[in-house]
Formats: sequence, structure tokens, C-alpha cells
Amino acid sequence: MEKESSIPNGTNSNSPLGVGDSNPIKNITYDALVIGAGIAGGEVALNLANTGYKVLLLDKELSVGGKMIMLSKVFPTLDCAACITTPKVSEISRHPNITIFTGSEVSNIKKLSDNEFTAKVTKHPRYVRVEDCTACQLCEKACPVNVRDQYQFGLIGRKAAFIPFSICSPKAAAIDIDNCTLCGACEKVCPTNCIDFTQETEIMNLHVKTVVVATGFDTFDAKKMPRYGYGQYKNVITALQMERELAPTRPFNTILRPGDGKVPDKIAYVLCVGSRDASVGNPICSQICCMYSIKQAQLLMGALPMADVTIYYINIRSFGKGFEEFYQQAKGMGVNFVKGKIGRISEKESGNLILRYEDINEGKLQEAEHDMVILSTGVLPNTGIEKFFESQTLTLDPFNFVGQSDALASPAKTSIEGVFVAGTATGPMDIPDSILSAGAASSEAISYLINQQN
Amino acid sequence: MAKINPAFGKELNKYGAVNFNACYNCGNCTAVCSLSTEDVSFPREMVRLSALGLEDDIKASLKPWECYYCGECSTHCPQEANPGELMMSIRRYLTAKYDWTGLSGLLYKSLPLSLAAFILTFAGVIAFAFSVGFELDKMLKFGHLFEGIAIGTIGLVILMPNIARMWYFTILKPKVKVPFMKYVKSTSELFVHMFTQKRALGCDDNQFRWLEHFILVIGYLSMLFTTVALDWFGTTNLFVIILGYVMSAIVFVVTVDFVSSRMKKNKEVSKHSQPSDIFFVVWLFLMGLTAFMVRLFIDLDILEMNKWLYIFHLTVLVQWALIIVPFGKWTHFLYRSFAMYFAKLKE
Repeated sequence: MEKESSIPNGTNSNSPLGVGDSNPIKNITYDALVIGAGIAGGEVALNLANTGYKVLLLDKELSVGGKMIMLSKVFPTLDCAACITTPKVSEISRHPNITIFTGSEVSNIKKLSDNEFTAKVTKHPRYVRVEDCTACQLCEKACPVNVRDQYQFGLIGRKAAFIPFSICSPKAAAIDIDNCTLCGACEKVCPTNCIDFTQETEIMNLHVKTVVVATGFDTFDAKKMPRYGYGQYKNVITALQMERELAPTRPFNTILRPGDGKVPDKIAYVLCVGSRDASVGNPICSQICCMYSIKQAQLLMGALPMADVTIYYINIRSFGKGFEEFYQQAKGMGVNFVKGKIGRISEKESGNLILRYEDINEGKLQEAEHDMVILSTGVLPNTGIEKFFESQTLTLDPFNFVGQSDALASPAKTSIEGVFVAGTATGPMDIPDSILSAGAASSEAISYLINQQN
Repeated sequence: MAKINPAFGKELNKYGAVNFNACYNCGNCTAVCSLSTEDVSFPREMVRLSALGLEDDIKASLKPWECYYCGECSTHCPQEANPGELMMSIRRYLTAKYDWTGLSGLLYKSLPLSLAAFILTFAGVIAFAFSVGFELDKMLKFGHLFEGIAIGTIGLVILMPNIARMWYFTILKPKVKVPFMKYVKSTSELFVHMFTQKRALGCDDNQFRWLEHFILVIGYLSMLFTTVALDWFGTTNLFVIILGYVMSAIVFVVTVDFVSSRMKKNKEVSKHSQPSDIFFVVWLFLMGLTAFMVRLFIDLDILEMNKWLYIFHLTVLVQWALIIVPFGKWTHFLYRSFAMYFAKLKE
């Protein structure tokens, strides 16, 4: 299938195309660039690679797997998210046609002609030679610096020399240079001498024939709604944090509330935090919060059989296959559903929280006490995607997701011919829909590659 | 069974309601409202009643008056349905419904009609001034007489029947049984709320607005008392003269802030102004200022200038007494305090 076999995968010819001869810029060539190595980007890369195309899969994070690899289970089947993601991740990692750049960014994407894109790829130094690292974690033990672990959404700490998370890929240490004190303790203990503080930012000129944007989504910053007290009340957490508490690779190995380590027994979910809310600038529905909250509620009922779980909602939108049954199942398990948006949360001295809401069915203002509150934060677009593109404009939709040139007829096409979009970069959707979208994007990309070569 | 009336929204829009049909019934407004309680939950209920057009239920409700418009509900409304301004519009609508003459409704809904009323009263004042040959003494004497007569007549003919109608709509018609002794025992509630507006203190971050409003009410009532009962413009009593200066100064100084915030639209409460709101604060300002100046000119003995100034003051006064007090925003002073009284009766 590979049409231009004269240019081998990842050719690095030192050309004088760069700025200075002393620091020549490497030229690299692939068939396709996939931006974002989450479940959608990974699926696109696999589909293209299995068809014979050479793919550069790029992610700004230190691991592939995106958000899904962090999750506990998926709705409505309650399959283990990591157990679905990790085989896929290892397939991506081992595939001969896929090159992975983690900790990397892309910019200045220019369309020179059909089938001809150039871009600037910036690979940030990891300060660890990945191929030599055995992930023995001795550097973690030696490192004296403690910071909040972003891969556990701040629930616990990590070191400045660290393995991102237990099932990350590539499984190798990294140095968080912003927090590193350059004490050298990790270097001394490393048995393979893979830590290398002399690594520098690498800039490369990329040549590809097609681009797939799979940049995923962001979640609403709950601190923007001070009336819910996130960041101020310790026992108010986000649903992503609860995902970590429920995941097989979870940090506490049980469900705890962060304020005092107590096992909670009266848990509240607040739906539509930062979605369907024009007052915080996001009027649209996130499509996943109802279902992931119901899923977490079911998992909590399993993990803490004595706990009461209440979900405060505006409307339950169980629109997908098996979703309504899943919702009814949660009700049957004893999850308490209350119609009414939470107006304010206040904290008691005990760390318990008072939730103020109007019970819509009664039409009365009510207050309820819970010992832990989970904010089901909404889906937001990742911003700045359109800035990757230089010569042509990548159009965004009114909500700042990547615009589909025709949402009905060709949902994977963007405003630039030859640039396709997959997964939640186009808008909020669940995992099956993301993978479907990735399938559509890869088919479009493949037919573009074939058409342009004929 | 009540009959729903979707067209009612159009009627409310004329009183200033905006976008309330966007409501998706999340109850966030009720939950963020610091005055809302389990027994008296609002504003979502009023949004619902308005969307369905259940006029009788709206007329029977005291909840619109139990809201003191801090604006939190509108700030946090996910649908930007503006429940705060809806409550304000319902208060305007209720003011119109309580008024047996029907003039309040006409003036609230039509700016040209309001302007015509203002022009008509101005013409009346000029005609009167002409008839007395623009003599300051005669005008002053008439003005003082007019104040007394206007207060008595409007109170008896317009305001008292309107309060009775409010009582009919909210207590009698919904068949609320209230023992006679409760009417007597609860009267303290009426006067406490009338003179302190203490319920507004329950609004979040509203302490300063309450204080401002409280000073204005006290200043206004004292100015009224000084001019009407103590004949400020005619007196030679030094104490009364100084009292009048202080009180009228309070009125126009405090209203400056009310007028400017309505112009700046910097607070939720001042974002949406109807002509009736503007007339109310501007005329209050003009009353305080012109009264102050008239007395100042008397004391400085600038009589020729004062003639024209007094005609201006008298115009403001007449418009205030014949338009704004009986048929405009002034009545909220009574309806708010009576609503608290009736609410106590309903408990």
C-alpha cells in the first residue's frame, strides 16, 4: 500500500533547510500526522498503519492513551476502561508503521498542495533516554521533590523524577524540570544511566500527506463556580478525581474523602457543573456526565454497600443504547435521584457539606447534608487547535470545537481539505462514539491519500 | 381547574419581563436566593406561573413582594432567563392589578402616555401660575395647600382602596382564614417593615444597598413631614429650616447613586430599567434638589429667580403627587410592607 517507498519511515536527513548550520533542523517524512494519542487518535493511527501508511502519532502528554486510560469503567457495560485501552496502547506502541512522539507539540502546519503538508514539530526533552529506562522507580525513591500528581488529578503527590502512571506507555521515567532542583540524586541511583540532563528541545520539519486532528476535550474548571466551593472545601471533588478513586490502579486502594481520609457514606453528585450553563459560558450539554455519574454511583454502591448515593440533576439524558436500562438499574440498586440543580454548597466544621437546592417535584427549597460531593464537570473544547494551522484556516464551530465541514454528510472533514477530525475534538461524545468517529476519520484520510495519488 | 394562557407572557413583557420562557426548571434561582425558604420558595414558582399564564395564582401570591432583588438568581441562571427581572416585572404588573383606576397599567405599559401625563401636569402648573400672576407668595401658599389636599385625597381615594384590593386578591379570594385577633397582633409587622425594610438585609451582599435605601426612606419621609406639617418654606423657626435643608439634601445626594447605577447598569438590579424606575429616582432627586434650592433662595432673598425655580419645583411636586405616587413606583413602599403583614397573617 505504501506508495512512495523511496522515502523510508522517519528519514532524518540533516539538511541546511534550518536556521543555522550549527543546529540543523531534522526533516522527517510520514504519510499521516495524527495529533493526539487518546482513544480516537490511537484508533485512527492503527487504522492507517494497518492499511500500510506510515503514521506519526503525536501527543503533548508523556504517555499515550489520553483520558480513557485514566478511567475506571465504561458505561453502560461496566467494562474495565484500562483493560480496553492498554491492549490498544501496546498495539499502537509496537506497530512498525507508527512512530510515537510523546511530550511533543505541532505548529505551523502549512498546506503546500494536495497531499503535501509541512509542519514544525517540537519535542520537549524528557531528560530520560526512554530506550534505556527499565522503569525500576529508583529515581522516584531518590528524588526529594514532592508535587501534586496531575495524572491522579491532584489526589496524591508524586516526585519530580517520576513514572507518569503505572500503565503509561512508553513506560519510562521523566523529569519534571519545572519542579526539579537539579540535585542529581536520580542520576546517582539510576542503574542504567538513562537520566540525561543534557537533552534539549528538538525541532523538526515534518512532511506529511494528510493530518488528523484528535485533540480530545478539556473539562470545566470547577473553581470557576465558587458557590460550589471546589478548591476551597476539601471534600468537594470532581468526577475525574472520583474516576481515579474507582480505577483498578487507584491511589488509595479504597474510596476516601480527601479532607480527613474518612470513608464517605453519604455521597452527592452535582450534575451539569459547567455545562448547560450559559452563565459560565457553556450552554451545551456534555452528553456524558449523566451516564458517567450513574456509572460511578453504581460502582460506589458496589465499593461501599452501606453508602447512600444521591444524584442531583436537571434532566437525566440516557439517550444511547442500553443507557436508559443502565439508569433504571442504578435506581433499582438504590441510587437516589433528585431533580433540582444545586444552588450553593457550604461546609460544616466536620467537613460535611450542606447542599441547597429546590426540589422541583415538590417546588420547595431544601437543604441536604452529605459527607462528600462530586462535581460532574462538563466537557469543554481544547483551545488553540486552530492556531496549529498556518496557511489555511481551520474553522471552529460556535462552541469552539473543531468545525465539521458537513456534520451530516461527512462528519470527519474539516474546513481544510486533507485535514480530518476525530473524537471529542468535534464535540462532546462518549467512548463508542469517539471510536466510531475515529473510524470515519481514518476512512476519509485513507480515501484522500488514495485519491490524491491516482 | 385553572386555564393556562401562554399569551400572558406578552403582557408581562410590556411590564419589562425578558426571556423568562427560556427557563428549563432547574431551580437554581430558588436555590441561590438567600431569602427563599422551604415554606416560601421562589422565584422559580413565579417563572412557572408566568410561563403558564396562571394570572389568578400570580395575583394571589405575595412572593413577588418578598423578593428584594439582589439579582443573584439572574447572575447564576444557566438559561439567562432573568428571573430577577421577571419578579420585578410581576411587581409592576401587580401594582397595575391592585390599582382600581387602571391608570397604573396604562402608564407602566406606555411611555408616550406617561410623557403626556407629565406634559399635561406641567401645563396645569403653568396655567395656575399664570392665573395668580406668577406671584411667589400666592404660589407658595397654594403649593403648601396642594400638598396637604393631595396627600389626603390620594391616600383615601386611590391608595387605601388599592390596599383593600391587594388584601382581597391575596387573602379573601384564595379563602385564607385569618382570625380577627391575628390582624391586630400582626400590625407591628406592617410598621416594622414599612420603616426599616429589614427583610432586605437578608439579601446577600446587600447591606450597603439596604442602608442607602433606609436613609433615603427616612430622609424622604422627614422631608415630607417638614414641608407639609412644619411648613418649611413659610417657617421662621431655625430648627425647622435646618432640618429641611438636611433632609432634602439627603434625598438628592442619596438618589444620585441610585440614578447613576441605573445609568451605569453595573449591578444586576440596575441592568434593566423601565421608564417607571427612571421617573421614580429622577423625580425624587429633582424634588430634593429643587426644594433645597427654593428654601436657599428664600434665605438668600433672591426672589425674582426663585419664582421660576419654584414653578419648576411645583411642577416636579405635582407630577410626583399626581402620577408617580398613585400610579407609579412609589406604591411599592406600601405594597411591600403590606405584603409582609399579609404574609404574617397567612402563616
